[in-house]
Amino acid sequence: MLDLLSFGPNGWGAQLLSGTLMTLLVAVSAFGFGVLIGSFAAAAKLGDRLLLRGLAETYTTVVRGIPELLVIYLLFFGGSGMVMALARVFGYDGYLELNAFTIGVVAVGLISGAYSTEVIRAAVRAVPKGQLEAARACGMPKMLILRRILVPLTLRHALPGLGNVWQLTLKDTALISVTALAEIMRIAHLAAGASRQPFVFYTTAALLYLLLTSASTILFEQAERYANRGTGRR
Amino acid sequence: MDDHCISALADASPVHRHPPPNPAAPLAVELEDIHKSYGPLEVIKGVSLSAREGDVITLIGSSGSGKSTLLRCINLLEIPNSGAIRISGETIGLKTGRLGRTEPADHKQVERLRTRLGMVFQSFNLWSHMTILQNIIEAPVHVLGVPKAEAIDHARMLLDKVGILSKADSYPVQLSGGQQQRAAIARALAMQPKVMLFDEPTSALDPELVGEVLRVIRQLAEEGNTMVLVTHEMAFAREVSSEVVFLHQGRIEEQGHPDKVLTNPDSERVRQFLSRHLSS
Repeated sequence: MLDLLSFGPNGWGAQLLSGTLMTLLVAVSAFGFGVLIGSFAAAAKLGDRLLLRGLAETYTTVVRGIPELLVIYLLFFGGSGMVMALARVFGYDGYLELNAFTIGVVAVGLISGAYSTEVIRAAVRAVPKGQLEAARACGMPKMLILRRILVPLTLRHALPGLGNVWQLTLKDTALISVTALAEIMRIAHLAAGASRQPFVFYTTAALLYLLLTSASTILFEQAERYANRGTGRR
Repeated sequence: MDDHCISALADASPVHRHPPPNPAAPLAVELEDIHKSYGPLEVIKGVSLSAREGDVITLIGSSGSGKSTLLRCINLLEIPNSGAIRISGETIGLKTGRLGRTEPADHKQVERLRTRLGMVFQSFNLWSHMTILQNIIEAPVHVLGVPKAEAIDHARMLLDKVGILSKADSYPVQLSGGQQQRAAIARALAMQPKVMLFDEPTSALDPELVGEVLRVIRQLAEEGNTMVLVTHEMAFAREVSSEVVFLHQGRIEEQGHPDKVLTNPDSERVRQFLSRHLSS
């Protein structure tokens, strides 16, 4: 059995390792993309522009309201078509195909972003207004207030929720194995079929996900401790 | 400095009186016919006010009279619906923006003028993720571009002046209300403002902590700083002000020298207000 998991010629060790790295890469990119969209969508929801608010509302309602696998299918089968249609507008007629990695990151990122939106929106609202007012009263420009005051104070309230979104995002990457991207789930599936030892490989996959999630929990706890400096909270 | 100074309000004879206004001093702040509404509710109904350099102007009045709103109009934390604001003779440009709201014509101008107006809030509003020292050097370093080492030296000098140098590396949450407010005053002073604005600086404090904050503000007044102050501390107002302005329902009811307005006012409303406030 250990032979199957080894890095030798008959083992799946090398593939499993690269699958783990691929999962991590997709998860980190999708989470980052999600936090980026989430920040803009949260800003739109908190702003007073009705059109932007409506767009953000539609986005979170749709993406959170349909199954995640369906989001991935829609992007996988519809994504290339959309990009080609867009390319035609700019006068390019050839055939374009998005690779599985890009589609995976965008799909999981959109899902992740919808949940991040709500976390960030709530966290921004929890920032004491007076501290922002004090910054304005000192003559700080908007972007400086954002960077020096609003983001650090928002993170305090957002990190626990974002930690949650991160774990969901990491696990959602398993769904993009349907696009044949060689991440943990896809490798485990291939190895299980080839070796006729599904239990061994799916257990291994479970352990790999656990390893990633527990390691990231520790990182998030440290980040929270840093963000909570000066609150007396631990 | 000890932290147990019960204010000089306890004894009835204040040691210091603000010198009379100097009519030759240049105007630091001018408000002209300020109107401010929240929806249908008009809270400031045409107020004009000016402060010359060295003046200490105290705004008093019952809650809802518009005194805090008026103060916040000076640095555009509230944007008046109409009227003019001039800081050291420079008029703040206002325009009618989206949805018919009044907004600054040039944000850069507002930001620049705000650096000359130090603001102290009722609820301190220190940035809770920064130490006291970081709070104080934040705007000088990032807004004015003062070199960090220089800003730190200045901050330490100011912290010493307000008596909390030992708290430089503490976070706001670790300080008492009085210490936080003194830190907030130091933060405002660090910008070397032309005018200090105080919005009920002692209203959120436990009674035994009021004195230590008033003492700092009194010292600033004695040093000749231009200040506009909203307060409920009548004895203190009488002692430090060059002019007292009584607001009632968004209008100036009476204004003048503190000895006049606070002891022998013409207005019956001011009389009633004072009898309520001095007896408590």
